[in-house]
Amino acid sequence: MSVLEVKNLKKSFDKLEVLKDIDFSLNKGETIAIIGSSGSGKTTLLRCLNFLEKPDGGKILINGDVIFDADDPNTQKEREIREKRLHFGLVFQSFNLFPQYTVLKNVTLASELIAKRKKGYRSNKKQILKQIDSQARESLGQMGLSDKLNYYPHQLSGGQQQRVAIARALAMSPDVLCFDEPTSALDPELTGEVLRVIRALAEKRTTMVIVTHEMAFARDVADRVIFMDCGVIVEQGSPREVLENPREERTKQFLARFSEE
Amino acid sequence: MSFSIVTARLLESFAINGKIFIVTLALGLPLGLIIAFGSMSRWTPFGCLRKGRLKCGEGDNFWDKLTIWLSEFRPISALTKTFVWIIRGTPLMLQVIIVFYGPGLIWGMEAVGRIEAAIVAFVINYACYFSEIYRGGIESISVGQKEAGQVLGMTKVQIFFKVTLLQVIKRIVPPMGNEVITLVKDTSLANFIANKEILMMAKEYVTKGLIWPLFYSAVFFLITCGILTILLAKLEKKLSYFN
Repeated sequence: MSVLEVKNLKKSFDKLEVLKDIDFSLNKGETIAIIGSSGSGKTTLLRCLNFLEKPDGGKILINGDVIFDADDPNTQKEREIREKRLHFGLVFQSFNLFPQYTVLKNVTLASELIAKRKKGYRSNKKQILKQIDSQARESLGQMGLSDKLNYYPHQLSGGQQQRVAIARALAMSPDVLCFDEPTSALDPELTGEVLRVIRALAEKRTTMVIVTHEMAFARDVADRVIFMDCGVIVEQGSPREVLENPREERTKQFLARFSEE
Repeated sequence: MSFSIVTARLLESFAINGKIFIVTLALGLPLGLIIAFGSMSRWTPFGCLRKGRLKCGEGDNFWDKLTIWLSEFRPISALTKTFVWIIRGTPLMLQVIIVFYGPGLIWGMEAVGRIEAAIVAFVINYACYFSEIYRGGIESISVGQKEAGQVLGMTKVQIFFKVTLLQVIKRIVPPMGNEVITLVKDTSLANFIANKEILMMAKEYVTKGLIWPLFYSAVFFLITCGILTILLAKLEKKLSYFN
């Protein structure tokens, strides 16, 4: 069964229609790469999945349950959305680490705050905090950052900061991990280290949606590629189908422009 | 009149300046934050008027325009901003006088204490200035910080206190420092309603023919501001561990 199903998703900003009827689904352990030129709606789609934008129409289903329905206000209450968005993790283009906290605290902070709201926190405080701490250390270890736990974000390179951000998102154990152009703010020599850890996650069958401009990376890592243009999904399929033998004229044009660069 | 007696008397009256200074900060800093939230309030009670009917830029006739205006009207923000305008737009000296004499003249109430009246005027006045500094600080934090907190499932309150606040404090220390230093000297305005603060005391010596205490009183202000400058620098240094 699909982990994620998106049905007829629509989003406009004033008169500008940014997403028009987006439909797609994602299986457990699958990695989807979304490509397309700027302004095609890729980022808005990710932001809708993470409830940073409220879609004007459509539904979002997780494991078959409707978690958002534009026609049903009951699915749009702030309190519920806060819990539902934890199905998704988001890695931002500009990292958005919390500058005043150490690497370790960046990863544990949200889990600690959520644990505090739960019943039985007081009685098991030590145990819960210990578990959060060891989980954070583990995901930072996966990102190759075990020696940076007590550093502050500004002491790290962009690539390291982005890996902390990935660890922070992973620590919440989301069903779907989303990346919004994770390497676009990085110097070319730093993109490699970030792409490497994402690739490792894909090999471990982490369910991911990656918005990217790195075509070679999309070809290697993604199980499926979606090409978006002007708010619609123009074409989707295996990387070979979409990137090497595109059927649609618009996809061909986009890819041609890319290979010229 | 000996130097030590003058020093003791001036110091004694400087306690009034100190009292106004401390209470104004203790009450004005939190009040300023509340006012800042007021002026940033996005509450639009008439927002529902427009739902699904009119989009931005639409509507040619008067009623459509009125509906759009009304749906975008933010009463809390408008009220707070008007209040801040009035307080910042009139002299503090006048506000001190109004707080002291106003209630008696307008409602025939019993006069409040002189020092209490001064403190009330100072707290309101400084809170308004503080509020704009807070607002600038809060709005300078990138929206990405808030969004990072949101996607991690934090509540609005948690995002403010755990993510935003310390970053805001770091950024507003220099402008707040400015206000704090100004406040030290502004406390002398309390003498317009006959609070016997240090300048009043010094002027009393002048009327008795002794001029040097007036110049000497400057030393008290200088030392206080010097200490505050050092403290503020320390605070800035303490917050320099992050960017």
